Amino acid sequence: MFDTALSAADLIFLAKGAGMTIIVTAISVAIGTVLGILFGVIRVQLGAVLAAPLTFFLDIFRSVPLLIQLVLANAFMGMVLHLRFSGFTIACMVLSLYTAAYCAEIVRGGIGAVPATTRRAARSLGMSWWQDMRYIVAPLATRVALPSWIGLALGVMKDSALVYVVQVTELLKSTQILITRLQEPLFLLMICGAFYFIISFPLARLGGYLEKRWSND
Amino acid sequence: MKTLTMAAALIATTALAGTAQADKLDDIIASGTLRCAVVLDFPPMGMRDENNNPIGFDVDYCNDLAAALGVKSEIVETPFPERIPALMSGRVDVGVASTSDTLERAKTVGFSIPYFAFEMAVTSNDASGIKSFDDMKGHTVGATAGTFEAIALEKQINEWGDGTFRPYQTQADVFLALSQGQIDATVSTSTVAQANVKTGNFPGISVVGKAPFDTDYVALFTNRDEYGLINYLNLFVNQQIRTGRYAELYEKWVGGELPALTVPNAYR
Amino acid sequence: MFGYTFQWNQALARLPKILDGAAVTMEVAVLSMLIGIALAIFLTLLRLSGSRPLGAIATTWVEVARNTPALFQIYMAHFGVASFGIHFSPFVSLLIGITFNNAGYLAENFRGALKAIPETQTRAGRSLGMSQGQAFRYIILPQMLRISFLPMTNQMVWAVLMTSLGVTVGMNTDLYGVTQDLNALTFRTFELFAIAAVIFYLITKIITLGARAIAWRLFRY
Repeated sequence: MFDTALSAADLIFLAKGAGMTIIVTAISVAIGTVLGILFGVIRVQLGAVLAAPLTFFLDIFRSVPLLIQLVLANAFMGMVLHLRFSGFTIACMVLSLYTAAYCAEIVRGGIGAVPATTRRAARSLGMSWWQDMRYIVAPLATRVALPSWIGLALGVMKDSALVYVVQVTELLKSTQILITRLQEPLFLLMICGAFYFIISFPLARLGGYLEKRWSND
Repeated sequence: MKTLTMAAALIATTALAGTAQADKLDDIIASGTLRCAVVLDFPPMGMRDENNNPIGFDVDYCNDLAAALGVKSEIVETPFPERIPALMSGRVDVGVASTSDTLERAKTVGFSIPYFAFEMAVTSNDASGIKSFDDMKGHTVGATAGTFEAIALEKQINEWGDGTFRPYQTQADVFLALSQGQIDATVSTSTVAQANVKTGNFPGISVVGKAPFDTDYVALFTNRDEYGLINYLNLFVNQQIRTGRYAELYEKWVGGELPALTVPNAYR
Repeated sequence: MFGYTFQWNQALARLPKILDGAAVTMEVAVLSMLIGIALAIFLTLLRLSGSRPLGAIATTWVEVARNTPALFQIYMAHFGVASFGIHFSPFVSLLIGITFNNAGYLAENFRGALKAIPETQTRAGRSLGMSQGQAFRYIILPQMLRISFLPMTNQMVWAVLMTSLGVTVGMNTDLYGVTQDLNALTFRTFELFAIAAVIFYLITKIITLGARAIAWRLFRY
């Protein structure tokens, strides 16, 4: 099994794919988190009825397969709007909104977990809405939300395997390209799987640890 | 939020206005780069060398076209099912991707005159005992999703009413599945079949015969309304044949008897 | 104003075929959930068994399922295991891949749910003369499933969405596969996939609303 035709150049090729996976994930999670916090706070502030259009819009990203989201975004931007975006841009745009949709839910849950009495106490101490958000809600909600957020970020990394469909050569696609040439599917897939696992597992553990530690008080 | 929407709308309108004036041929020349959709797991038409750089008949053909236009070429790898989305989304300018010029597809994209022609061949796993096209009846067979041969083979399986058809995303997956014994046989272009068997990557498979499908003429494609570019592509294909470059490329990548690209008793 | 003419009737004419695909998608999702729940309970029992090797097997399953892409798991279930001479049809490969994923995530949910059930309950059951197995079966399991009901609903939605990955292992009878085949035939990418997206959206809505109705009937006090 370890008698392989895999060369150093191929390993570099795989590493490039892995780098692409990380870059796409990092950009999407960064933008998606900012948008997600924004959307989450807006949804809480506006209430269920007024925020309904936003809720519906975000819900789409959680109810349609990512593969179809990518294909449609790609087709719509280019065929209909004639915008010349690279596959990389499309991938980041779709994944950012995808992240934002889930992140908004997490943020909403985090804000909801802050006891209303605590917030009322803050306001009655003369804090403004902004101060209440900044000094009371944000720290408490972050504690509740961070483990889920880590889970989300790792989820986005795994889902980024689908951006091959808009011609972005990430880790799994690079692996498939090498399988085409070397015909060692099991060995190459193991390497690919191990890579995802090595990044994801420690962070998932960290999330679990934080969740345990912060829920005990 | 409102400013964002307005900005987006503004960008959209500018982009629309921009495309309205110059046609695609102008755009390519102005941008200095010709972006071709090429399928890179389709040896010998498109594949990768040991440094994972694109090579093959289609890659050379794209380079020739870029040279004729006086621009640089950029190979954009597109799996078969993604060729048209890649074109429609403006990711590529032209498809040099062994694309069959079917009437159904011509409703959506614009084809040049044929630049290559494939015969279809049956490749089988030796263990299956399949020796001809008709032997495939009752077996599990596969082909590359979205190709001419996949559509024809699936139709044939349905006609036989016996056996199973499986479309895979890439030609490589088809041969992988064939050598693993997941499918018993496949129909592919004979050039591709020969090239794959020759690599020695897939033990236990052989080309066993011809498939009685029509000759698969493949053409370059671009957006349907880009007449200027389509005219250019037609002349380019003609020039490739006239100058002997077509024969040269065929000898380099495929070898053997050069397939004719004209249909007897027809004007075009 | 758009440079693209929509041809909805071309795509809508294929709606019956697309709906057949939706039925297959539902079939895969439901089967993968049923088997997945059974396997997740089994994995939970392995973890509770106190045996180290058995617990390690369960933990490995859970961690691999949760820390690698679903696409990878499905691809592995088809092309990976075939290296050992084991062949699964695309339908079975897809089912195995999604079930593997479901079982891993659900087992982790069950573990969280178990934490919320006081251990004293098992002891109370034992002191009433129940065996360890009976105590689990009649006291712990129902509560575990109830606490995990919402995560199970989410996983069901995921299972539906994951069926779209079947195309990578040669599946063409599910909702995504059918849509892609029609796309190869007609090249009406936008229209066809937009229809598929709407159907996926409706399916997930039916699942979440249905689950809410079931939860309301079963769990209200």
